[in-house]
Amino acid sequence: MMKRIRIRLMAAGMATILPLALWSGNAAAQAKEIVLGAMLPLTGSAAQIGLEEQNGIQFATDKVNAAGGIRGYKIRIVYEDTQGKPDLGVLAFNRLVDLHQVSGIFTAYSSVTLATAPLATRKKVFVLNPAAQTSKLATASPYLVNTISLAKDEVSIIAKYAAEKLGKKAAVYYDSGSVGIDLRDEFKTAFLAAGGTIVADEAVEFGNTNLRPTLLKIAAAKPDFVFMAATTGPGVTGDQISQIPDYPTAIGTSFFAPFKNYPVTVYHTLVKSSVTGETEKEFNAKFKTPDMAFFSREYANASQIMFKVIDYLLEKGRPVTGENLRTALFEVKTFDTPNGKISFDTNTARREVEIHKLTPAGRTVVEKIAH
Amino acid sequence: MQLILQLVLDGIVHGCALGLIAMTFSYIYVTTGIFHVAHAGILTLGGYLAWYFTGVGVPFPVAVAIAVAGSAAVGVLIQKGVYEPLMKRRSTPLVQLIASIGIVAVIQNLLAIVFSPNVLQFEMLPWRKSSLHLGSLDISYPQLLTVIVSLVAALGLLLFSSRTALGRRARAVASNRSFAEIARLRPYDVYVYVVAIGAGLVAIPGIFLGVDQALQPYSSLGLLLTAVIAMIAGGVGSLPGAFLVALVLGVLQNLVLAMVPGRWSQALTFAIFITFILMRPTGLFRIRMQRAS
Repeated sequence: MMKRIRIRLMAAGMATILPLALWSGNAAAQAKEIVLGAMLPLTGSAAQIGLEEQNGIQFATDKVNAAGGIRGYKIRIVYEDTQGKPDLGVLAFNRLVDLHQVSGIFTAYSSVTLATAPLATRKKVFVLNPAAQTSKLATASPYLVNTISLAKDEVSIIAKYAAEKLGKKAAVYYDSGSVGIDLRDEFKTAFLAAGGTIVADEAVEFGNTNLRPTLLKIAAAKPDFVFMAATTGPGVTGDQISQIPDYPTAIGTSFFAPFKNYPVTVYHTLVKSSVTGETEKEFNAKFKTPDMAFFSREYANASQIMFKVIDYLLEKGRPVTGENLRTALFEVKTFDTPNGKISFDTNTARREVEIHKLTPAGRTVVEKIAH
Repeated sequence: MQLILQLVLDGIVHGCALGLIAMTFSYIYVTTGIFHVAHAGILTLGGYLAWYFTGVGVPFPVAVAIAVAGSAAVGVLIQKGVYEPLMKRRSTPLVQLIASIGIVAVIQNLLAIVFSPNVLQFEMLPWRKSSLHLGSLDISYPQLLTVIVSLVAALGLLLFSSRTALGRRARAVASNRSFAEIARLRPYDVYVYVVAIGAGLVAIPGIFLGVDQALQPYSSLGLLLTAVIAMIAGGVGSLPGAFLVALVLGVLQNLVLAMVPGRWSQALTFAIFITFILMRPTGLFRIRMQRAS
């Protein structure tokens, strides 16, 4: 009888001690780990871009962890899928903050970032935006920092260039998402101010691949050029443009930046986005990609900025909270990146913007503008 | 004028593809009583199967045949594995609808996992960019094939439904399942045939729209919505009605673009539809096949 009781007591003791031991081990492991969040469109029609973004973050994270982490702290990223939808973005934000208790989040997509900005302010969570470009993000939240130029900056550059060099009659072709509409409005304002006129204004639904009717209407308006603000695969748009006689020269921003084999001449701004040749080679080997896409580069570089801010906090012995991340970013202020020095005087980085000319023969940089 | 004619031509192409989607959806709905939203998933699947087999070197016509057969097989799986057990347990139409929506999500996400969520094009078919010039109008080869194959398939379905024993059996089952059971017409077997035929045929617009434009795992629900509208406006159960209204909707969607900016075209098209359905709630054509209440 006593033996049975002893066994039960031992079992009870083990049952109490074992979880405690496991918990303390886990806590020790957690103590050497910093968890960040990323809310990206990993499925749905924007998933192509979302996966590029995820690869960029993960690449930078794996690299920093392989080098021992940040002052001994490993970085772990929790990814949440938003499908590029604001309602799912809000759920993702709450899960990251309330469940995973992250203090820093990478975001993507203008509508998602706008929807979650008030939450970032209320919950004091630091949000880094390397991709969304709607101009409203400039003042959406004091806790939101944009590492990419916003729509109005790039649009004003290309609108001025087009009015001077390409003509005064423009058509606008945009997708019906938040940033597409924003780009249209910014372009119209800038181009009309430069003395131009808009002869056609046509939207396509985001994700729609039947673009022919809209492109036909644009061509029929006979503009000097068309401002394109839609991200439906450049290959699909290019193929359908190639079947339309006399489609005009196209212009755009980083939002619309076809990479090769476009059937008409394209002038577009591009936020200068570089990585070293060695990094690109390493990335391509890791993810089996032919080149490191624009968004992968932007998220990898933005991750470096986030890690630098965390390093600064750890060096100063300050806790990694959203409030501290935000304060530290402005204390560090200037970051050395493969894109040169990136400075934050405001919530939006100052970046070098280039105007590229893309013809079927190849790509040339026609102007470089620092702003 | 040339713009209008070109828009009409493109609308006819789009309308033919929509027409086949509407007809096959209508055929399945009227026979089985299931609001088969998973049809959108099979539409997408057909395109991806053809893309895959063409990519590994199978001649395009053979890849099309494999895609049609594969889609029909998936239709059989859905009917036998999901719908039939639900029907036998006397689940409500709402439960069946939710199951169907679930199937679409599964198919779309599986396609995104296997083939990536990227926009895919039939790069291996160089002729897809070539066009036929009809005076000042252009029609690409994939567009031309979409029209021809959709019309042939639609006609084939009509003939099958009215002239074959199995087609007539399906109509009998559609009109009253209980009587069909008493008459030993084996309704559950008929459902399997009907879903398989519908699934196989809906792969055709999935393939040719994919060749003409591109493939995307998530883009087919919008097409299905327009096809369902065509089915309702055409008169639920009237297969020619569904096809004809889909054709009109395809042309209308394009023509509206010539009159108003693109952002208003969807709204205007559906406003016209709502006005039409208010005036004629039973649809354009008298119902030929209708389920007993």
